[in-house]
Amino acid sequence: MSAYLVTLVILVSVAALVGLALNLQWGLAGLVNFGVSGFVALGAYGVAITAPHIGWLPAMIFSALLCAAISMALALLSIRLEENYLAIVTIGFGEIVRILLLNEGWLTGGALGIADIPRPFAAITPPGGGDGVILAFAIALVALVFVLLELLVRSPFGRVLRAVRDDATVASALGKPVLALRVRAFAVGGAVMGLAGALHAFYLTYIDPSQFTPIITAYAFMAVIAGGRGSNLGLLLGAGSIMALLEATRFLKDLVPSIDGAQLSALRLGMIGIGIVLLLILRPQGLVAEPRRRATEFFPNAKGEG
Amino acid sequence: MAQLFLNGLVTGLLLALPALALTLVFGILKFANFAVGALLTFGAYAGFVANVQFGWPLPLAAAFAALCVALASIIADALVFERLRERGSITLLVASMGVSLVVENICRFFFGNAARSFDVTLARPIRWQGVRINHEQIVTASVVIVALILVHLLLTASPLGRAMRAVADNPSLAAVRGVERRTVARIAWALTGALLGIAGVLAGLDRAIDPLMGWNYQIPIFAAAILGGLGSPLGAVAGALMIGLAEEMSALILPTNYRQVVSFCVILLLLLFRTNGLFGAKAVRK
Amino acid sequence: MIENRETDALRVQGLRAGYGRGGDIVCGIDFAQRAESIIAVIGPNGSGKSSFIKTIAGLLPARAGSISVTGSDVTALSPARRVFAGLAYVPQEANVFRSLTIRENLKLATEFLRGRPGIGREQEERVLSLFPEIAARPRTLAGNLSGGQRQMLAFACALLANPEVLLLDEPSAGLSPKIVSQTMEAITRVRESGVTILLVEQNVSAALKIADEVVVLVAGRLSLRAPAKDVKPHDLASLFFGKAA
Ligand SMILES: Nc1ncnc2c1ncn2[C@@H]1O[C@H](COP(=O)(O)OP(=O)(O)OP(=O)(O)O)[C@@H](O)[C@H]1O
Ligand SMILES: [Mg+2]
Repeated sequence: MSAYLVTLVILVSVAALVGLALNLQWGLAGLVNFGVSGFVALGAYGVAITAPHIGWLPAMIFSALLCAAISMALALLSIRLEENYLAIVTIGFGEIVRILLLNEGWLTGGALGIADIPRPFAAITPPGGGDGVILAFAIALVALVFVLLELLVRSPFGRVLRAVRDDATVASALGKPVLALRVRAFAVGGAVMGLAGALHAFYLTYIDPSQFTPIITAYAFMAVIAGGRGSNLGLLLGAGSIMALLEATRFLKDLVPSIDGAQLSALRLGMIGIGIVLLLILRPQGLVAEPRRRATEFFPNAKGEG
Repeated sequence: MAQLFLNGLVTGLLLALPALALTLVFGILKFANFAVGALLTFGAYAGFVANVQFGWPLPLAAAFAALCVALASIIADALVFERLRERGSITLLVASMGVSLVVENICRFFFGNAARSFDVTLARPIRWQGVRINHEQIVTASVVIVALILVHLLLTASPLGRAMRAVADNPSLAAVRGVERRTVARIAWALTGALLGIAGVLAGLDRAIDPLMGWNYQIPIFAAAILGGLGSPLGAVAGALMIGLAEEMSALILPTNYRQVVSFCVILLLLLFRTNGLFGAKAVRK
Repeated sequence: MIENRETDALRVQGLRAGYGRGGDIVCGIDFAQRAESIIAVIGPNGSGKSSFIKTIAGLLPARAGSISVTGSDVTALSPARRVFAGLAYVPQEANVFRSLTIRENLKLATEFLRGRPGIGREQEERVLSLFPEIAARPRTLAGNLSGGQRQMLAFACALLANPEVLLLDEPSAGLSPKIVSQTMEAITRVRESGVTILLVEQNVSAALKIADEVVVLVAGRLSLRAPAKDVKPHDLASLFFGKAA
């Protein structure tokens, strides 16, 4: 039982990190990222490949920076265009990462993946106590990221982003500096996704491409929509409740024995899809509404209507 | 070389229908419909049901698939996209992702993850000047070409086509000329659904049918539509042909697993150098 | 005005409208217009003239109030249905389908109005004779026309629907003085054929020449209504600036 609980907490932690990242990119900066699974995979493979050589902390930093750099490049390519283009580029990126992971066997182990990834603090962990350490590590990581992102959101940087997202006129009036801000937000989000991937790899100590399907992306969107775009606290609630609900569907199998594994996963995924659509239609503000602020609060010089 | 060229043309023709579907919806509703891949999969399964379970001949099965996907698209519009229309393209994008998940998993729920195929007898390929031509390739090429001609006539020479182009050009002006955007949007969804249904059956002839088959086409479809300038129907067809050729020709230098990478690189290069698509339609800048 | 409500071609009561979640831009307008009259709406930039007229056409949803055309209430109708009820509208910008040819633009003007009385060959000939320049180049893309030519094409398209009430948003914008006077002449001729015209115009002196009455719109409210002959352009300046800023 306790092992199951640990699994659950780690799963929720990874989902929360991914959700927090997407919340920054999409919820706050208004940039759609459909390639979430690609960034998470990149983060995971980044630590899996480098950690044995350079240690876990540098490996995590490497992963985060790698993801940040790639996010930044993708955002720069398409940010001047309509939203649709960034969405297309990122979804393409997610697929490409999957293909590369499968086919560049010399680096990634192909379909077999990479095993024996060293965990953080492995040297000082008492034998048998591994789960406790990784649990504490996961919680600490989420807490750290949460606090940093909250600070970011409350800083002038975050407030400008929010204002810009809510008010297209201000955005176009401010022009270039705003684009730079949004690209930066997208990069930070990418880095956090990389960290989420790293945590995933550390926990499982074994990764392969099948763990990084676009489903991760769907979960993340669901979490952000459920939590209310822009609200980090709402996001944690959203990510937590979604994972709990999903786990609960495991027990569906006991209730309806005729259902097979593929059907069960189809049901879960279909429900995520329905959830995304329903929440978009019924509760656009999310389950936890974000306090609305007006652009004019932050730009006393810009003239607002009314 | 000639063989690759031929294969590329047929691959491109196969991509042309979904790329056209994507671009038509984009023109009228201004969002990239990420459910194209899943709807194509749905079409393949609908064709499979008609062909294998009902025992219908393939042409009839394709018509059935077209009808089913058209209906599914109309339902998706009525339940989802219509309600979100005023909320901007990001919301619509994300919603189309949700719809995609639902459609894909309806297929998975009823048919499982196993690969399936149509009940067709394999005829021997024709050899002509050293080039091997499959029957499926001939079928695909002729079906697509007929479909494209019909769509072209519809768009350029019928009141409905004019209305669709008018709504794509300027929706509020179309409204004050008596054109109901809702109706036009519905019809456009039905049309794109039919195209995706047929494309699904053709794709099922080409490869195995499984719940994720649409994903194999998603990136090339987007690449084709962007190459042609999102929103331009003729451009989408030309773009599809070029992507098809590029993918097959890349087999000369790259392993075949990397075909999608080619499409992705085309997208990146286009965004880097020519955001209007090769055929001049405007990519909408902010 | 109130007593002869049957003969009012256009009636607007308590009309409020605005964009998105923003405040009201049209702030409670009551207005009635006699059939076959020309009324000019003038006011400073951004005072809500275009928004007012868009609300009547149905492009901007009314938040409160009602609109009726020749006695029948159109408030709940979509913009397309309002055309059937006899309302035509020429927008200030983007007034033609740029990617369609002139002929296609003209066709579209009536194609989806089947069953509306008074449209057809005869109306088409009558309208096109007003704009020979347009009729002569059916295959040109509307996007390649000059601003003035586009304005005429838009005007022609609106007339093809044989409207009861015609809403014009700045028909003279960007036109040379000669074309302005031609346009204004065309407007009076259209009125003589029995159409009621509501005209937003920045070119006050041109508007005053053809209008029966003038209403002044400032900050979303009607601040004055007077017969055109009693209004001197310089009186308006004080009205504009007295209340606008
Ligand atoms: N699409 C829109 N979205 C949000 N606000 C708008 C929109 N169009 C106009 N507004 C606002 O409504 C107000 C009135 O604009 P409107 O276009 O009605 O003015 P107008 O009187 O026609 O001005 P002009 O003489 O310049 O044409 C302005 O403050 C403008 O900012
Ligand atoms: Mg105006």
